[in-house]
Amino acid sequence: MRRIAALVLDDIATSISRQGDLYDVALAHSPRVEDGGPGVVYLDASGLGMLFGSEEHLARRLVGAAADRGLRIRAAIASSRIGALVACRWSGEITVIPPGREAAYLASAPLSLLDRSPEMAARLDRWGIRTLGELAALPSAQLFERLGHDGLGLQRLARGEDRRPLRPWTPPLIVEESAQLDGAVDALGPLADLAATLAARISDTLVQRGLSADQLEWICALVDHTRHEGSVAPAVPVNEGRAMTALVKAALEAHPPRGAVESMTLRARPVRVPATQAALDDPLPPSPRLITATLARVAALVGAERIGVPVLLDTHRPDVVKLDHDAWPRSPSDRSPRDPVGLRHARGALALRRLRPPASAAVTLVAGRPVEIRSERLTARIVESAGPWRVSGAWWTERPWFHDEWDVELGPTHGLICRLAHDGSAWWLDGVYD
Amino acid sequence: MDNLNESLPPPGRGAQGVDLLLGAFSPRALSEIVGPWSSGSSSLLVALISRVTLSGDRVAVVDATDAFDPTSAVAAGADLSRLLWVKCGGRVEAAWRAADLLVRCPGFGLVAVDLGDRHDQSRGASSFCRRLQRAVEQSDATLVLRASRPLAGTAAALVVSMRRLAVRWIGAPRPTRFVGLVSEAQILRARTRSRSAPREGQCVEIPWGL
Repeated sequence: MRRIAALVLDDIATSISRQGDLYDVALAHSPRVEDGGPGVVYLDASGLGMLFGSEEHLARRLVGAAADRGLRIRAAIASSRIGALVACRWSGEITVIPPGREAAYLASAPLSLLDRSPEMAARLDRWGIRTLGELAALPSAQLFERLGHDGLGLQRLARGEDRRPLRPWTPPLIVEESAQLDGAVDALGPLADLAATLAARISDTLVQRGLSADQLEWICALVDHTRHEGSVAPAVPVNEGRAMTALVKAALEAHPPRGAVESMTLRARPVRVPATQAALDDPLPPSPRLITATLARVAALVGAERIGVPVLLDTHRPDVVKLDHDAWPRSPSDRSPRDPVGLRHARGALALRRLRPPASAAVTLVAGRPVEIRSERLTARIVESAGPWRVSGAWWTERPWFHDEWDVELGPTHGLICRLAHDGSAWWLDGVYD
Repeated sequence: MDNLNESLPPPGRGAQGVDLLLGAFSPRALSEIVGPWSSGSSSLLVALISRVTLSGDRVAVVDATDAFDPTSAVAAGADLSRLLWVKCGGRVEAAWRAADLLVRCPGFGLVAVDLGDRHDQSRGASSFCRRLQRAVEQSDATLVLRASRPLAGTAAALVVSMRRLAVRWIGAPRPTRFVGLVSEAQILRARTRSRSAPREGQCVEIPWGL
């Protein structure tokens, strides 16, 4: 007979930061644990009687173990996840629902304890359904006709029916190496040598397990008892020691520790990279070590936040581009079948050179059209103009925006063709067509 | 101003000049596109970026003045997922050094370096260009510099100088819409073995449309 225990954190605000502690409490009592979202963990409580005695005793133990870690939780044990969860949310610190009593126990619980969409909540409220028992008692066929599968699923939960097996949660694997220095060092050279030693050990572990690292983190203990921490995500997962060393070294050069270092811990977050078969006509892929080392050096040169693959966001607001820092441009072998080489040609499209940030400008208007522009960059007469072209957005929010854009040709001294924008209060020189 | 009451041919047509010119940029060589703003030099660079991404290769854009506009690149047909954008925040020397690193990294079909029109773009340019030329000769990449004036000297295998011929507006008597411009690309230097590539001194007219 299946028995499930639910652990729910009392303090929702700390639920994300203390989720790890909650897992530790659950894993100390059962090997099968499921993540129930922020602040909620389920564990398989079947067959634990021989170890911990009665279910009530087990629930008290769980609450006590959490208290030892500074957590205030509620624990409930039932035959289903939903039964245990509702009991946690509705009752006191410890609840045990005897087998087969879920429906009776849940009947008087308020409907608000179930997670449901606002539309569904409003609809059930209009029908006068206030408790789980009232929802459970509705005829299923008619409920399905009115609310579809979502309604039927909600009714099953109200009846305490939850047949899905636990999805076991496994802690993420972290490969970590530490070393203590004989004496504190404040030069980057010895620190880089130490990082190379640790990276080589981590590399051995990763290669043995067929894994690669997609994030590297390090903690340096300093002589003044403070810590210097850093992390870097390679463009492609790596398992070569030299590549990892190059990344850590470039990051340490860009942000060196504030003082002499006594010890260092290097940690890798591993991922499994599936092997792929390249096509015969594909060129040899570049070495991940070289790519990683190059990008790390470029990032150290210009700043890690200034390098990446551009992604246009789904908005009409001009010049909203996200740089995906962790991505590496798609390889030639990722070619789409609809995008064969040679079938499409680059178009002769006029490019805009953006001024970032846009330059503030004073614009003189005559009969509603711009005739002169004065800004820090240039002062010129406008000989031709077309506009305004309005782009706007977020009009459904409290902070709507709009831009009236003008294309203007400046007088012969400059001869530029520019894009001006007026946002209702000021003029901006957005860019120059080139 | 060339005020015409007709629109340009839609992008992709009437642009044989672009295709002819883009064929002149060779791998393992340093090429230059030079010209003032509003001459079409950036559009030519963006067209080259688009062609390379469409062929499936990766492109690194080293942007000295953060002026690259991804929206314009998409309009030219570029696949942004194959593009690495390095923003140098106005630091021209950082742009030279980043280009030097990226040219030596295999995996890029094109390394495009846009130096903007900063007055300090020529500081140390000749030594950087010679260094880049030696690096690109050892790689499979095409290296292209865009600047307001020629910087590479004899290190460049191809130098394309852009100037504006006409600005196209539509609407009469007063223009109501800016639709593009017409550029003339003149080949100032061409050290290429390809017979189809434009010759030194040849001029190519290119219409650019919005």
